[in-house]
Amino acid sequence: MIKHLAVASLLLSASCLDIGPAVAADPGITDTEILIGDVEPLTGPPALLGVAASIGHKIAIAEANAAGGINGRKIKYVLEDDGYVTARTIQGVKKVIDVDKVFAMIGISGSGQSIAVMPVLEKSGIPTVIDVAPVKFLWEPPRKNVFVVGQSYEEGIIHLVNFLADKNPGKKWGLITQDDDYGITVRDGFDSVVKAKKLNVVYSGNYKKGQQDFSSDMLQLKDSGAEVFLAGGIIAENIAMMKELEKLSIKPVTGIFWPGRIEPVLKLMGPAGDGIYAVDYVEPFAGAAGKAFLEKAKPLVSEAEFKGINRYTMTGYAAAKVLIAAIERCGKQPTWACTIAELEKTKNVETGVMAPISFGPGVRFSNQKLQIMQADAATLSFKPVE
Amino acid sequence: MQYLLQLLISGLAIGAIYGLIAMGFAVIYKSTGLVNFAQGEMTMITAYIAWTISTTVSGNVFVVAVGAILAAVVLGLVIERLVMRPMLGEPVFATVMVTIGLAVILRSAINFIWDAYPHGLELGMGRGIVHLGGIGVRTGQLAVIATLLLLLVAIWAFFRYSKVGVAMRAVAADDRTALLMGISATRVHALAWAASSVIAGIGGVFFALSYDLSPAMFQLGLKAFPATILGGLDAVLGSGLGGLLIGITENLAGGYLGSGMKEVAGFAMIIVVLMVRPFGIFGERDIERV
Repeated sequence: MIKHLAVASLLLSASCLDIGPAVAADPGITDTEILIGDVEPLTGPPALLGVAASIGHKIAIAEANAAGGINGRKIKYVLEDDGYVTARTIQGVKKVIDVDKVFAMIGISGSGQSIAVMPVLEKSGIPTVIDVAPVKFLWEPPRKNVFVVGQSYEEGIIHLVNFLADKNPGKKWGLITQDDDYGITVRDGFDSVVKAKKLNVVYSGNYKKGQQDFSSDMLQLKDSGAEVFLAGGIIAENIAMMKELEKLSIKPVTGIFWPGRIEPVLKLMGPAGDGIYAVDYVEPFAGAAGKAFLEKAKPLVSEAEFKGINRYTMTGYAAAKVLIAAIERCGKQPTWACTIAELEKTKNVETGVMAPISFGPGVRFSNQKLQIMQADAATLSFKPVE
Repeated sequence: MQYLLQLLISGLAIGAIYGLIAMGFAVIYKSTGLVNFAQGEMTMITAYIAWTISTTVSGNVFVVAVGAILAAVVLGLVIERLVMRPMLGEPVFATVMVTIGLAVILRSAINFIWDAYPHGLELGMGRGIVHLGGIGVRTGQLAVIATLLLLLVAIWAFFRYSKVGVAMRAVAADDRTALLMGISATRVHALAWAASSVIAGIGGVFFALSYDLSPAMFQLGLKAFPATILGGLDAVLGSGLGGLLIGITENLAGGYLGSGMKEVAGFAMIIVVLMVRPFGIFGERDIERV
């Protein structure tokens, strides 16, 4: 009996070995490939961020593949479009995890979408690095397998309003925000500084998402006598607001938030956009780091993709670098558990596009350093102020 | 007073754009009895084509205008021939669903053909600011108001005096009798789609000139649709005027009641008007004899 059991055990062991030495316990990895999945808005207005972020992921992946891949395995990028529709984000994430069977996830659409998909990510346990829309809910409380590269919207606004308040003491303030979770976050950040610094707010507007004409809103702002203005739109809204202010012949000191800090916006604002302040945690393209990044990206992406590069490309690139480095540190047989452990050990990883990135035990948010920039209409660029 | 005048002028300018797109809705409804839910997307496509012409062929305003009008005609005719004509005789619900599907496809086409970045339509005119009695207004905004007024007169004359216009009215009134009179309903439908595409496209081009071009532009259709309902779905001229009313109402509400009321005001007005006149201010009451 014992002899038969021993033979059976040997046969079982042999059959297991026969599967091949490269088979890992977790999906998305073969002898030659590692799959990384992503779901982004690739159609509709938010494609501006989704496409750019995916280009950043592609640049980091192309760079790693050109250097031989992750310990000899080439990285394959599986990208799904959610059209910025939450139900499609959930569907897309389930698809890339369950059907494409990717090894890790990256990016993941907007703030609302990544919040909605969190239970799916948590339940699956897949290593995930989120980089597009950092909001507190994604890292508070910390989830074992979900890491976030960036800075919170609220901190960004607080930093910007503090800067503008210190630079313009005793001035009258105006604010306009969008009527959604993004707008609420902007308003919360603004209100905390108003309370702390006792700012004199003379105009506070709240526009409906999708609004395109801001003539009456800006007329109200003018009528209020506001001297410092926080334009809480995203892209087209901020352009429309600045052009209305130009039409009304007023030019308050204006601050915008990073989702709208993309260079084509300045071209559309024209002279009205000159001198506006912005806050961000990625390097401006006009600086040395920005130029170096563009040089690096040029041979790695198509001409059309190169034209689609914006600040979200930098956030995507940085997140992908961190994820790839963590998988790489796991050696020849990476697993989810090892990748998560290595992500947690991430310490001062240099990406060249933002301050060094670190996580830690129980720390799932990289908490990037912020900087203030100012628009220069002549060169259509943002330049660091601090 | 200046505050009020500024609100009125801005309201007229955006209202003229709504009005043009609303007329597009009405032309199709009047001729085919169909509500085209892809009107905003068709408007956006024409504006993007105008921008492409301006950046690749010539920035000359006449070249862009002629090119955009021709493109809008082709767009309308292609949609009618390939998408709408096969639906002739099918239930209205199915046909309306087809226009919704078409809207999604056209919206996605923007990212596939162009990109998600906002663009400015530079024609060397329309962006300048003039001051009328101290009120700042862009020349493009004045031009769109004038264009709407001219088109209102031209369309009134077209339906009243031209043979084709009378044929379109005949098909709208009773397509079977019109057929017996030798009028080709399919040809009238094709013409309606082409005309609707051009009129709404003009609105789109003016919007791109005064504001900018972005994949969110299709939402203009959502603002123009209430204007059509307000003016009367079967009233082309009424829809144009409905656009002006919506634009002014929105701006007055936004200026006096606050930003949040701006988007609500137009719809609130529609509810009130439809309670009194269910067929719109200028629409015709359906009379059924039993």
